[in-house]
Amino acid sequence: MTEPAIAVRGLSKVFPVPFRRASVVAVRDLTLQVEPGEVYGLLGPNGSGKSTTLKIILGLVSPTQGRTEILGRDSRQVASRTAVGFLPENPYFYKYLTGQETLRFFGKLGGLGGRILPQRIDEMLALVRLEDARDRRLATYSKGMLQRIGLAQALIHDPRVVVLDEPTAGVDPAGSRDICDLILRLKQRGITVLLSSHLLAQAQEICDRVGILSAGLLVREGRLEELIAIENRTELVLENASETLLQEIESAAVRSNARLVERRKSTTTLERLFLEATGKKDDKPSSASSSSESHPKP
Amino acid sequence: MRRILALTSNTLTDLTRQRVFYFALIFALLLIASSVLMARLSFQQEFQILKDVSLGAMSIITSLLAVVATARLLPQDVEDRTVYTILSKPVPRFEYLLGKLFGILLLLAVSTLLMSALFFAVLYLREQTVLAETARQMASAPRAQIDAALETVRQSAFNIDLIPAVATIYLKAVLLAALTLFVSTFATTNLFTVVVMVFVYFIGHLQATAREYWLHDQGGGWMAQGFLAVVALLFPDLQAFNLIDDAVAGTVIPLALFGKTALLGLFYTTVYTLLGTVVFYGKEL
Repeated sequence: MTEPAIAVRGLSKVFPVPFRRASVVAVRDLTLQVEPGEVYGLLGPNGSGKSTTLKIILGLVSPTQGRTEILGRDSRQVASRTAVGFLPENPYFYKYLTGQETLRFFGKLGGLGGRILPQRIDEMLALVRLEDARDRRLATYSKGMLQRIGLAQALIHDPRVVVLDEPTAGVDPAGSRDICDLILRLKQRGITVLLSSHLLAQAQEICDRVGILSAGLLVREGRLEELIAIENRTELVLENASETLLQEIESAAVRSNARLVERRKSTTTLERLFLEATGKKDDKPSSASSSSESHPKP
Repeated sequence: MRRILALTSNTLTDLTRQRVFYFALIFALLLIASSVLMARLSFQQEFQILKDVSLGAMSIITSLLAVVATARLLPQDVEDRTVYTILSKPVPRFEYLLGKLFGILLLLAVSTLLMSALFFAVLYLREQTVLAETARQMASAPRAQIDAALETVRQSAFNIDLIPAVATIYLKAVLLAALTLFVSTFATTNLFTVVVMVFVYFIGHLQATAREYWLHDQGGGWMAQGFLAVVALLFPDLQAFNLIDDAVAGTVIPLALFGKTALLGLFYTTVYTLLGTVVFYGKEL
């Protein structure tokens, strides 16, 4: 049996409120596993316990109950962090350092040195497309560039697992698209990604499995297509279909006691429209979306 | 070791770019001002005041630098979430603290060296001026008399005991930096750390006088002794790091006394670093 990349077992976290008898329960009896090579999305509204869970996995916060493991190692051991990279929410790095210096600093912390370090720095800057900004101080970077250098530092020591806390928070659609593409490329390279987000459309696009947290409880978990599929409904997407053909399909449906729920024009996404309008290239193949221009049928 | 070095060098870069070396500029201005004001004094008085003012200013500036620069290191990293990115790498928390501490110690060493160099340069220049003036005024006097007068000038200016005095100033700053780092592991704001350290500074300087008063002048009952023991345990005896008066007066500082002071400084620094590590390990980030 393959060892899970990340394992969370019976995890609870209670924060005491200073000077009061009350306490805040951030996570309640959470159990989940992230398999090697998959992109797992931890979804939930603000305050649902996503960031606390990630911090416990990374050993930044201690659990009240339960345990977490990274590639079979207890998160409380420093050694568990050799194979993990982390991008916190709204990261803020030392703004007096340049992009290259930042990666050198974090590379050294990740145990790199010698000839490998400059080589990895070049690779990472190329991966996040920041070669031109390598000698600029981070104080001059845009939000999107900071997120990308954040991703680069998370990957500098070639981790097998990457943990991303709200990776696209506060980033414009073009920057957000870049980050999503980067995550998909990580997946292709076999890197396990655990991300937290409340941007559901993006999670839907990049995650293999998701877990939905509400008030610290895992209320849903599973493969995305299974969770969002409507059992008794099927979609057909046709290209160049004539009106006659469409009417024939509708009639055939009625004859076999099926109900046509809606018929509509395929649309692009608002994100893709934005990227086209602002001249940002979108490499992703176009696909139909069910976002607008729908014409419900009785 | 590579990780500690990376953190040390980054801390030093951070502090350097905060322009903390401006403290040394204040010191230089103070030296120039005191030289101008002392122009009318006899050379013995002039050298004594120059040494007194310089070493006193050096002590205050390094102590202030140690507290103010260290107080912001941890809260800033926590507030900016940089600490998450650092500690999510395979960096043990004590290495993180040591890296920060070594960075500030390096900064204090550079500042102390810079101020010492300025101080010794001014002292040397004044010595040369006074020597030239003395030689000119006594041009007609016998050779032996001139040599004796010049030797007096030389003895009033630089003496080797200024070196241990400067070293203890650095040691005091090191101790204060370690203590500030310890306080900042449980403090929530820079201001809290600085306020606590101001109290520690004054109590640390006054406790020796209080101890002397209670134990010798008043006889010192068991309650007074117990109280003073607790104070001595919690607050470092900063007066023990004051060798300035002896150095200025030209009193020889015995090697044993300097060694004892250095050991005391290292002991306090180690204890505060260990305490800081223990608290930081339990801290929820």
